[in-house]
Amino acid sequence: MVVRQYNQELEYLEKINSYCWRIKKGFQPNMNVEGVFYVNQTLEKLMLDELRNACRPGMVGGFLPGVKQIANVAALPGIVGKSVGLPDVHSGYGFAIGNMAAFDINDPQSIVSPGGVGFDINCGVRLLRTNLFEKDVLPVKEQLAQSLFDHIPVGVGSKGIIPMNAKDLEEALEMGMDWSLREGYIWAEDKEHCEEYGRMLNADPAKVSMRAKKRGLPQLGTLGAGNHYAEIQVVDEIFDKWAACKMGIEEKGQICVMIHSGSRGFGHQVATDALVQMEKAMKRDKIETNDRQLACARINSEEGQDYLKSMAAAANFAWVNRSSMTFLSRQAFAKQFNMAPDDLDMHVIYDVSHNIAKVEEHIVDGKPKTLLVHRKGSTRAFPPHHPLIPVDYQLTGQPVLIGGTMGTCSYVLTGTQQGMLETFGSTCHGAGRALSRAKSRRNLDYTDVLNKLEQMGISIRVASPKLVMEEAPESYKNVTDVVNTCHAAGISKKCIKLRPIAVIKG
Amino acid sequence: MEQTFTEEELTLPTCKYEYLDHTADVQLHAWGDSLQEAFEQCGLAMFGYMTELPTVEIQQRSEIKATGHDMESLLFHFLDELLFLFSCEPFLICNKLVITEFITDGEELSITCSCYGEEFTLGKHPQGTEVKAITYSAMQIVNEPKNKQFEVYVIIDI
Repeated sequence: MVVRQYNQELEYLEKINSYCWRIKKGFQPNMNVEGVFYVNQTLEKLMLDELRNACRPGMVGGFLPGVKQIANVAALPGIVGKSVGLPDVHSGYGFAIGNMAAFDINDPQSIVSPGGVGFDINCGVRLLRTNLFEKDVLPVKEQLAQSLFDHIPVGVGSKGIIPMNAKDLEEALEMGMDWSLREGYIWAEDKEHCEEYGRMLNADPAKVSMRAKKRGLPQLGTLGAGNHYAEIQVVDEIFDKWAACKMGIEEKGQICVMIHSGSRGFGHQVATDALVQMEKAMKRDKIETNDRQLACARINSEEGQDYLKSMAAAANFAWVNRSSMTFLSRQAFAKQFNMAPDDLDMHVIYDVSHNIAKVEEHIVDGKPKTLLVHRKGSTRAFPPHHPLIPVDYQLTGQPVLIGGTMGTCSYVLTGTQQGMLETFGSTCHGAGRALSRAKSRRNLDYTDVLNKLEQMGISIRVASPKLVMEEAPESYKNVTDVVNTCHAAGISKKCIKLRPIAVIKG
Repeated sequence: MEQTFTEEELTLPTCKYEYLDHTADVQLHAWGDSLQEAFEQCGLAMFGYMTELPTVEIQQRSEIKATGHDMESLLFHFLDELLFLFSCEPFLICNKLVITEFITDGEELSITCSCYGEEFTLGKHPQGTEVKAITYSAMQIVNEPKNKQFEVYVIIDI
């Protein structure tokens, strides 16, 4: 790694406008393209502080600041356009979290990297609407929160309650939400409002290790722990009335349910297995990267193809997982209000994936190209009229779901043409961590965090209350800053703001 | 199936690990009087993040084997095996690990380890944080028999 003083490092960074910075070539060795990141004043300070800390004399070890990681990704073979850092960017494993990068499929040198997807493959957010309003829910809020908590298995060591055997799992991995539909857990129209219609066609369960399947089987239909959650939310503000209408959101006070979860132990093991395989492939194919954590393989190599097929299976797992929890949420609401989920209008508004790699068509330097787009902690945000978004959203642009942290707001954005051009149709995914978990544990007290939530009128059911400080709002960047930056930079547009009234988490 | 254990088997090791700062994840730091002990302690550090270890009783024993082509990959696969033991049958949460075979030279390095604990049970064991994966990120193994210094550092993704 290049060792330079902080002010020397700054010479490689250039502020293009109030929301956008350029990372020039040379910031890290062998950069094929430039880097770019989107921040406002507040986030800019966090970003540069991270860099300054890493430049302090005597800093050793593999902890790279996010901005360096964006530059290392720019040095990967076959990358086109720019390596993009979104406003919620922070240091991750190899790739930064909040990092997107696209690789030209027709360039034989191009690579696919599991680090560019993350361990939690197809981690994502789903939003359900209801025709209930805050006044309907407030009197039974505690019961409803408890009921959701009782229905959805949460936290470490919890097991799924949807009956599954090894054969069911194989089918689910291949079919994604078509499996959930066939088994009667979801509605046909749920699929329409899901990226890829809830099924990646290139999934091949045969490429997945027995180990991953064993880890996955007991966990299907579980929420998980860490930053995953299910929330009952209230529409707090509508920025774009017309687009909100298209999503079935009529006015303030309407109740929604947000589910944030991924592919659980299954995806984690697929990623771990792939990293081990790719270390070997890198040696064989002599692929040089700036950072050992950027393990990758040529897209066209056997390892590359195997990863894409098993990643697709993990993506399908995640959709089935979120679908199972959709089913459980609908049941919880139906029992509480003694009405069918249909009559409660509990439709899926949309379902986004924020840890995934996909093959997409984009215009690069005026020419159409087929690219493998890695989005790690980044959400697809396609503009109006894009062929891959559902007919209901053809005129509004794709809904983009941005989950906040426990107790903070969440947002619905829509994709823009500018985002399509600047960031390959990608935007932020959430708040992004600011404090380390250990620091949160030291600085915050869990009873204070829980009391504060209670004062804000938020019911909370959490499997490991002693760890809530790790997920406290203070540990994260402000999601409003993140979303406002995306809106101001034009890479996506604000549509709806949601505020939680009940949180269920691991 | 009830297993019986000798008193020696039921004696718990002292805690020789701590958790260090990392933005998104957590870094395990473990040490011991031998590298073997540092490895065992590192495994316990990981289990300690999943639940409160004092709630675990020794009721079961499982044996795992891990191999690697260098020390780092040996440690990686050792922890991955332990995570696997917890994630599916027998869903074992351990409060004691005893490495019975520790081969650290030759072509293939390997570990055989006896893992003592019990099945993770909601209600009995408080839920901590879930460990998604073991990483090579900033992994360090200090193996200096001369100074009697044996330490390992591992970042786990959570």
